Amino acid sequence: MAQAAGTVEARPRGAAAAFDRPLLLTPRENLAGYLGSHLGRAALFLVTATSVVAVLLIFVFIIREAVAFFVNPAALPPLDWTSTGSAFAWARAALSFIVARLAELLAGTQWYPEAASPEFGALAILVGSLYVTGGALLIAVPVGLLGAVCLSDILPFGARQAVKPVVEILAAIPSVAYGFFAVLVLAPWMQEHLHLSTGTNALNAAIILAVMAIPTIVSVSEDSLTAAGRELREASYACGATRAETMVQVVIPAAHSGIIAAVILGMMRAIGETMVVWMASGNAAQIPSPWWDLTQSVRTMTATIAGEMGETVQGSDHYRALFAIGLLLLAFTFVLNLITEHFLHRVRRAGGTSP
Amino acid sequence: MEARRIAVVAGLVAGATLAAWAAFAVASEASKQTLQIEGSTTVGPIAEAFAEAFMKANPNVQITVKMTGSGDGAAALIDGRCQIATMSRFMKPAEYQKAVEKNVTPCPHAVAMDGVCAVVHPSNPLKAITRVQLRDIYAGKITNWKDLGGPDMPIVVISRDTSSGTYEVFAEKVMGKDKMSEKVEYVNSNPQAHARIKTTAGAIGYVGLGFLDASVKALTVDGVAPSRKTIATGVYPISRPLFFFTNGYPELGSTLHSLCTFFLTEKGQEIIEAKGFVPLTNY
Amino acid sequence: MIRRRPSTDPLRPGRLLRLRGAVDRIFTGLASGSILLIALALVVVLAPMLWRGATAVLFRGTVEFRLMQMQKFGRGNRADLAVELVQVAEVRQPVYGMLDRFSRGIATDDLEEEARRLYREFGKQLDRRDTPAQERTELRSLAKHLRDDFTEAVESTDKAAAREALGRVLRHADDPRLKGTVAEGFFRMARDYGHIVDTVDLSRRAEYAKALGEVRDAIRALFGPRPGEPRPPLVMDQYGATRWDMAERQLARLLTAEKWVEVQPGQPLQRIEVPREQQFAGTDLVPLFPFVRERAVEMLDPRLTFYWQYFIDDSLSGHYFGGVGPEILGTLLITVLAILFALPLGVVSAAYLVECAGDGRVVRLIRTCINTLAGVPSIVFGLFGLAFFVIFLLPKFGFPQGASILAGALTLGLLVLPIIIRASEEAIRSVPPTYKEAALALGASRLRCFVTVTLPAALPGILTGVILSVSRAAGETAPILFTAAVAIGSTAWPPWSAVTKPTCTLAYSSYHIAVGDRLAALVPHNQYGMVMTLILLVLILNIAAILVRSRVAKRLRGQ
Repeated sequence: MAQAAGTVEARPRGAAAAFDRPLLLTPRENLAGYLGSHLGRAALFLVTATSVVAVLLIFVFIIREAVAFFVNPAALPPLDWTSTGSAFAWARAALSFIVARLAELLAGTQWYPEAASPEFGALAILVGSLYVTGGALLIAVPVGLLGAVCLSDILPFGARQAVKPVVEILAAIPSVAYGFFAVLVLAPWMQEHLHLSTGTNALNAAIILAVMAIPTIVSVSEDSLTAAGRELREASYACGATRAETMVQVVIPAAHSGIIAAVILGMMRAIGETMVVWMASGNAAQIPSPWWDLTQSVRTMTATIAGEMGETVQGSDHYRALFAIGLLLLAFTFVLNLITEHFLHRVRRAGGTSP
Repeated sequence: MEARRIAVVAGLVAGATLAAWAAFAVASEASKQTLQIEGSTTVGPIAEAFAEAFMKANPNVQITVKMTGSGDGAAALIDGRCQIATMSRFMKPAEYQKAVEKNVTPCPHAVAMDGVCAVVHPSNPLKAITRVQLRDIYAGKITNWKDLGGPDMPIVVISRDTSSGTYEVFAEKVMGKDKMSEKVEYVNSNPQAHARIKTTAGAIGYVGLGFLDASVKALTVDGVAPSRKTIATGVYPISRPLFFFTNGYPELGSTLHSLCTFFLTEKGQEIIEAKGFVPLTNY
Repeated sequence: MIRRRPSTDPLRPGRLLRLRGAVDRIFTGLASGSILLIALALVVVLAPMLWRGATAVLFRGTVEFRLMQMQKFGRGNRADLAVELVQVAEVRQPVYGMLDRFSRGIATDDLEEEARRLYREFGKQLDRRDTPAQERTELRSLAKHLRDDFTEAVESTDKAAAREALGRVLRHADDPRLKGTVAEGFFRMARDYGHIVDTVDLSRRAEYAKALGEVRDAIRALFGPRPGEPRPPLVMDQYGATRWDMAERQLARLLTAEKWVEVQPGQPLQRIEVPREQQFAGTDLVPLFPFVRERAVEMLDPRLTFYWQYFIDDSLSGHYFGGVGPEILGTLLITVLAILFALPLGVVSAAYLVECAGDGRVVRLIRTCINTLAGVPSIVFGLFGLAFFVIFLLPKFGFPQGASILAGALTLGLLVLPIIIRASEEAIRSVPPTYKEAALALGASRLRCFVTVTLPAALPGILTGVILSVSRAAGETAPILFTAAVAIGSTAWPPWSAVTKPTCTLAYSSYHIAVGDRLAALVPHNQYGMVMTLILLVLILNIAAILVRSRVAKRLRGQ
């Protein structure tokens, strides 16, 4: 029945009463709801912020101990705020001390933390991490990328369903089991069949780390290859390209952000791995003497921390040096994270699905 | 609606369980007496065997043993996280200082003696070595076995990691002021060292007395062969005592006291000998 | 004008095309090859560990194993075991007899000690008998001569001299004053030793002593302590070889000696194996070895054993015997607790990030932090857990300071938080917006819409996150190294009293038994068994969660 505009209708009864209220209530009309919704969102935000708090705590804790390594109040001249001359001298002494410590840590090759005159040159350890990670990537990137290509483009659906669990299981095996395998099976095999003087070396660790990094690389690359889209591939095929040419010249370049992100994620997995390298890399703090010889023992940053933390005196220089190495590790992975995020952001913006 | 009611009830039950959890946790602390032992990986097996024997004799005592390193044991004792710190070296002055700051008075109990034996692969014709030669090998001055009268093989030098007590003793008594060469390979524990030397023909390393067996060959150092007798009398040059550290001397008659004096009993001495160390007394 | 001659078959592809085709085939081959390589890597890594680990559960167990099970765990049929023990002791008896007879001549220290003891006992006996003083001194000096002659005979390496000294001892064998006294022991020993002098090459006695020591050790390792010997203090020495593969190793050690001989001066020594019969040639210990070789199976009675209790038993003597029960319990407790901490936090965070957050700077910061948390190395988590949870936080709540499951679970929870957040975010995002729109259109508030519609639809994805984090948490060693793990100490029960105490977990114990004390290499089956248990646990958890996920997904699809 047509109602005159502006007249107030009689209040409907029963179920229809629920639809009487206007759709959008002002805060004054529904204080409880307003407060509830905003307080709820604030609570959720706080809960989400725990991860930020956790990361901040980790950084603060590590930095606190690491900074103590670089700054030693006892070695500085007394500070007298009143005179600018002494203040400058103090600042200069502090700065030179910090720089000297940093230089020793990053460029010195002598790691003798427990000697009578301790030396904290961690270059060999950094290089060791680099060797092991580099070797792992050298093996994992081609295999992983080709595997992802196979999974996304070559295998039929049924085979893909069979292969994906294999990759997932490889990712699920605990690192201790890999370390076990490296020390008890791979090391003797290498010593016997490759006639090496030592089976626990950079090559051993690199192979195992490659096996650990491959699932990450495969799954993230496969996601980004799939996200490149059918149209791109069909267009390439329509122009007469073979599958190899399509993949190499069209699809992979299109998915390059995701692939770079996958490689960096794999790198992060390899750098941060502790148990495997501690058991399998030999732990000799040396830079291998022909630089390309991966069959010599090396030591990584994670193995140094794990191996030496148990026996240092808390608060000693050695303890702080280990935290400084931990800080290096943390800073490195943080930077890699930022880079990965940048690339993934580009993928998300371009493709739509997040890997 | 049903699902919601079930969810509410489940939530209440979970909350009640968690509350009971906390209550029981505090209440059942009092029923069993617990002792924590932390520290060295060398002395750890002795503590482990002691703990097992002790727990069998006294079922209402629960002992846990952690082996992460002598320094960690010292730190844990100073922080009050453990009651006994097992250490394969004496406490350093820095650790004592920290202890004094925290009102902790570490009291050492020497429970056994251990010798650090230089071992090589059994196929190595070398039988004797001097401390000077050992030092030169580890410092990198001698790199081939033929310099010592052996075959023409490069020496693979194995050492314990720089923070272990075994390494400390070796560094103190053999290396002196010299530093080890960079090419030295580090392993984390005695069994690992033993396994590396057993499988590598050109290897030399050092292990504790309890790890000597037919698969590695112990060299005589300065003419003295490592054995129970030579270590107990101090004739063997690289020997050291193994310690239990407690916070002050444990109260007489307490469980802690029995555990710390267990090494004086016949059973304790048998255990120490069975584990391959040298008991301090001749029972 | 040069014209390229066309190929005879107009349909045959040209050279360039064929090259491209070949490249394509090579590329496909390489790609398939890498998948095969990945699958091969999986098999190569898992197979040895699962295979060798299976021997911890399925093996040929000997009578020593059944004895150990009965005495330590109270399992098995007592009557049957008693019968078996009697049978086995009967077969072993001749071995000990042969060993004793031979060792009496070789263990000169024992003989000398025995001679000295006899002299002392004789002196005490004389005192007790109340003999007159002069006779006492006479008899005493006679006993002293006997002792010295006997010692001289034992110490000499010249057969003639030894026989002569023994003759001097036995000359007094019929002396009536010594009848019925302890001194008769001298004559018995002299007669036995005379037999040894006849059969043994005295100059090689030191060598025999060493080899005899090895033989004795091998026999003790095979059969356990002799009946009548005092019980050894360590449990691992109280029983013989409990498994047939261990027994075979000891048998090899018993039956052949290993010698390293110099082949060329200055060259590495060569290893040769000398059968023990050869080493002891001419002595009366020789028949021992073929006897043991032939009747070893009777002496140990190996039977196929399925030791499924491996997964629930405590470990004895530092993992030498027993099983991994406490480790499994500890791993489950710590993992479940870690998920309990991380799951609510993670799901709520993911809900916020998807539903309420925009793309502002703060939210980007939060995302960066979550990604950073995902990238922090596990050892750094361990350090953080030690310093923050163990030393700083938990004592504030009244818990005793020290490693505990609670601290370890909190650390692991922090480790897996990013995984859960990521997976939940994916899952919530992938719920079709039509669900949410329909709920909102029906008048549901946003909270109700989320809880009753979006969350159940996202459950499979969230469960995927739980799968990944469970297998990650169960397998991590570095975070619990300093916060929760101990090498020995069974997990307390009930669970609520266990959380304040540390525990042994599979991951940590696997690491410890690989690099721990000397028992590690003696029990490879236990090493592999523990790693196998860890891998199986992780796989089972994975499969269970996948099944749950597929069932929930099916149910939701059906709705």
